[in-house]
Amino acid sequence: MTTGFAAGVRASQVAPGSVVTVVVAGRPLCVGQTLDGRWGAIEDICTHDGGDLGDGELDGDAVECPRHGGRFDLFTGRVLALPPVVPVMAYPVHLDGDEIVVDLS
Amino acid sequence: MALPNPAVNKVPTGYKYGWHDPEMKSLHVMKKGLSREVVEEISRIKGEPQWMTDLRLKAFRHFEARPMPTWGGDMSQIDFQDIFYYVTATDKAVQSWDDVPDYIRRTYDRLGIPEAEKKYLAGVGGQYDSEVVYHNIRADLEKQGVIFLGTDEALVKYPEIFREYFGTVIPANDNKLAALNTAVWSGGSFIYVPKGVHVELPLQAYFRINTENMGQFERTLIIADEGSSVHYVEGCTAPAYTTASLHSAVVEIIVKKGARVRYTTIQNWSHNVYNLVTKRAVAYEDAVMEWVDGNLGSRLTMKYPSIYLLGERAHGEVLSIAFAGSDQHQDAGGKVIHAAPNTTSLITSKSISQGTGRTSYRGLIKVYPGCHGSKSTVRCDALILSDDARSDTYPYMEIDEEDVTIGHEATVSKVGSEQLFYLMSRGMNEAEASAMIVNGFIEPIVKELPMEYAVEMNRLIQLQMEGAVG
Amino acid sequence: MPVQAPAALDAATVEHVSLGEPAWLRAQRADWWRRVEANPWPTLAQEEWRRTSLDALPRDGGLLLDPPLATYELDPLLAARGVIFSDLGTAVREHPELVRSHLGHNDTLAAQMPFWGRSLAAWTGGTFLYVPAGVAVDGPLVARTVLPAGAYSYLPHTLVVVEQDASVTLLEEISSPDGDAVWFGGTGDLQVGYGARLRYANLQRLGDGVWRIGAQRVEVGQDANVTTLNAEIGSAISKVGMDVRMTGKGGTSRLLGLLAAGNAQRIDFNSCQDLLGSHTTSDLLYLSALYDESHAAFYGVTRVRPEAKGTSSYQECRNLLLSPKAGAEPIPVLEIETNDILRCGHGATAGAIDPVQRFYAQSRGLSAGAAERMIVRGFFERVVAQIDSEPIKARVLDALAPRIGQTDEVAA
Repeated sequence: MTTGFAAGVRASQVAPGSVVTVVVAGRPLCVGQTLDGRWGAIEDICTHDGGDLGDGELDGDAVECPRHGGRFDLFTGRVLALPPVVPVMAYPVHLDGDEIVVDLS
Repeated sequence: MALPNPAVNKVPTGYKYGWHDPEMKSLHVMKKGLSREVVEEISRIKGEPQWMTDLRLKAFRHFEARPMPTWGGDMSQIDFQDIFYYVTATDKAVQSWDDVPDYIRRTYDRLGIPEAEKKYLAGVGGQYDSEVVYHNIRADLEKQGVIFLGTDEALVKYPEIFREYFGTVIPANDNKLAALNTAVWSGGSFIYVPKGVHVELPLQAYFRINTENMGQFERTLIIADEGSSVHYVEGCTAPAYTTASLHSAVVEIIVKKGARVRYTTIQNWSHNVYNLVTKRAVAYEDAVMEWVDGNLGSRLTMKYPSIYLLGERAHGEVLSIAFAGSDQHQDAGGKVIHAAPNTTSLITSKSISQGTGRTSYRGLIKVYPGCHGSKSTVRCDALILSDDARSDTYPYMEIDEEDVTIGHEATVSKVGSEQLFYLMSRGMNEAEASAMIVNGFIEPIVKELPMEYAVEMNRLIQLQMEGAVG
Repeated sequence: MPVQAPAALDAATVEHVSLGEPAWLRAQRADWWRRVEANPWPTLAQEEWRRTSLDALPRDGGLLLDPPLATYELDPLLAARGVIFSDLGTAVREHPELVRSHLGHNDTLAAQMPFWGRSLAAWTGGTFLYVPAGVAVDGPLVARTVLPAGAYSYLPHTLVVVEQDASVTLLEEISSPDGDAVWFGGTGDLQVGYGARLRYANLQRLGDGVWRIGAQRVEVGQDANVTTLNAEIGSAISKVGMDVRMTGKGGTSRLLGLLAAGNAQRIDFNSCQDLLGSHTTSDLLYLSALYDESHAAFYGVTRVRPEAKGTSSYQECRNLLLSPKAGAEPIPVLEIETNDILRCGHGATAGAIDPVQRFYAQSRGLSAGAAERMIVRGFFERVVAQIDSEPIKARVLDALAPRIGQTDEVAA
């Protein structure tokens, strides 16, 4: 059974230490890799203002929302800095060659 | 452009702190204006670890990118390039009063610190031109493990705990002024209270803006660990100058499970200061956070102490007094975010506008879905003392949970002529009678202040009223 | 099939609508349309529009050219005394000078202007009520319209002029079938003169696909007394702006609202009570009962001008949340520019039924549903009790019956 979906963006297109917004199986996700090459994915919608998280920066393991600086852990979705208070869903990611595969189960 | 002669400046009548110390020497005066180089220099002078330098530079980038807010007061006169961002009067903090340089001691003498220290204080972080020059931690607090330092020192001495909490409540990009503060912050207090420790006496700090065009960017971080309690008090004055001064502080507070923090501010900046502050606290399970906020001075204050109730049964209160005399605008209020069930909050705001002054209450109560059993009451009362004064109320409510009780009431009134007549028939003149009525109006909040502040507050109101009547 | 313009609202439609109309009206419509084109839509920067997006507004339905006319019953004795009660189109034909002197001369709140302008440019229905000086009309006048099925746009304009010392009560009721996407942009211009009295009730029972974007402007003259009631029962989205101007000294206004929303309905009211005249009084009381996943926002501004002495105002908005996903955003704003006020305040609440109240009702033998209906009926009572006219009260309660039960509902 396949629960992994291709992100539609190649791994080589996402620089280390950055995130992008992709739509995977109808769900907007924020996907990226840390400076030391670990890949993660979380829901793209900031629980504070509803905007895209993929427009933000990746600082260590923290995705920083570009509008008010709120931070979410790229691997657990946990809130690391206000103003958001509700965590986001996180999904495991692995690479299949240059393909980014997100497990949506 | 030559700096205007302070002696020629218009000093509002009755402003009793309207002096500045002519002997003051500012030792590390940098050039005016803000740039990457200034930010790097501030970090270098302080000998900070690389992560803080990086954070300052990132914050500076955000500050430049963000536009100014389009709501609130009139900030059009602020020129960010016309401000000094870092000045220190001495190089290191001292432990005892005798070690403090003469001219600084005279300033603090006039503010009454020595008596207060003898009577009330457990320790003082005194701020003079951005640097903590004097602090004294009492032996018993040290024994209890309470940390009370200048923020600069805490960064170096307690890096792990500092880094764990700094910027988690108010991130660098929260708003334009918070970004500015994160880039150029200097001074402020750092307090850590260990589990179960109750700090009985209020901790205080005084600071003032002194140099022409001085900006104040102190950064305060308070962490009350589980079951602890602490009361922090700040009151500040500034001498009068005609060119705009900017005070853009950030205060972050973390109140852990079962802990209790009260943060009291009486602000009395001179009438050319822009006081634009971001203050926010998070309260966990069974925790209590109280902001007591008195805004009397400044040309424009924009300040909305906030509380995020993140754990069940957390409780938050904001008690706010705002007094706007002629040409002043106090835009203040409070925000409470209910993000857990059975949380409660209370906002009480009393504002007074006189002459051509304007007070605005701006607040937010937000209840996230799932926060059942939450209750909030907001009560805003405004007194308008003159025909040309103005009062506004902008209470926002976003209620997305059904099982809650949320209420807001506001009134706007004037001093009743019968009340005034009655008091004057008892022998008071109009100014005294008005002052008494106004003091009665704010009494519910004033009674929550430490006694010295309550006395100072009543005296300040009296002074304001003398200008008001006739 | 209703007769519709070939295209949606545009300059050609406006011209089409005014074919055969007197020149002054053609010119007036064209003028308003020009103003709409200069400022076609509100922006998110306007506080009044931050909570409702117009992205899904059904704009493609052609303008309804032959709206069903309400029955305008008027006692011939009153007609003989000069009272005019008809649809606006008929009034233009039969009383052109009178209508011309009162129609389309007023602006309203900036946030509402795009819709006010569209209605004044493209109205094809609506009520005209004129009461001459000194005439007192007993018993309510009723204008009830049942719109047809279909996907269309319809922007009627209602014009009510009550002259000096006259008095009248008017109920406008509008309904339409469920299912179709309709843009209903009805507007109302109520002008109440010196010492006059108006009771105006608007009962909205539109279908569940209707976007109701409305504007109501009320001008209260010296010593006049006005009560308005907006009862919102239907529609998918209801966005209404109320502009109440207390221009004359000593005027009084009471603004009442009853909102009952369910499913995914969104109601968004903004109001402005502008106290310009001295010794004026303006009180607002809006009560919402919110079911299912409905949401009500209310942004009300009370403004007391510097030259207005001795005014009284109170703005109150109370929201009863009756399901976990219902939400409310009451925002009562005060902008007070003088200290010479008699009283001034506001209050807003949001919350669920007090569990003690519910328990008490059920312990008396009422089913859960009956208990809730009874409690909501009690919640609405503060407004219902202020409806002077028994027939209007009965119509409103009838419309609310699904939520509050029949008035004679017997405890189970």
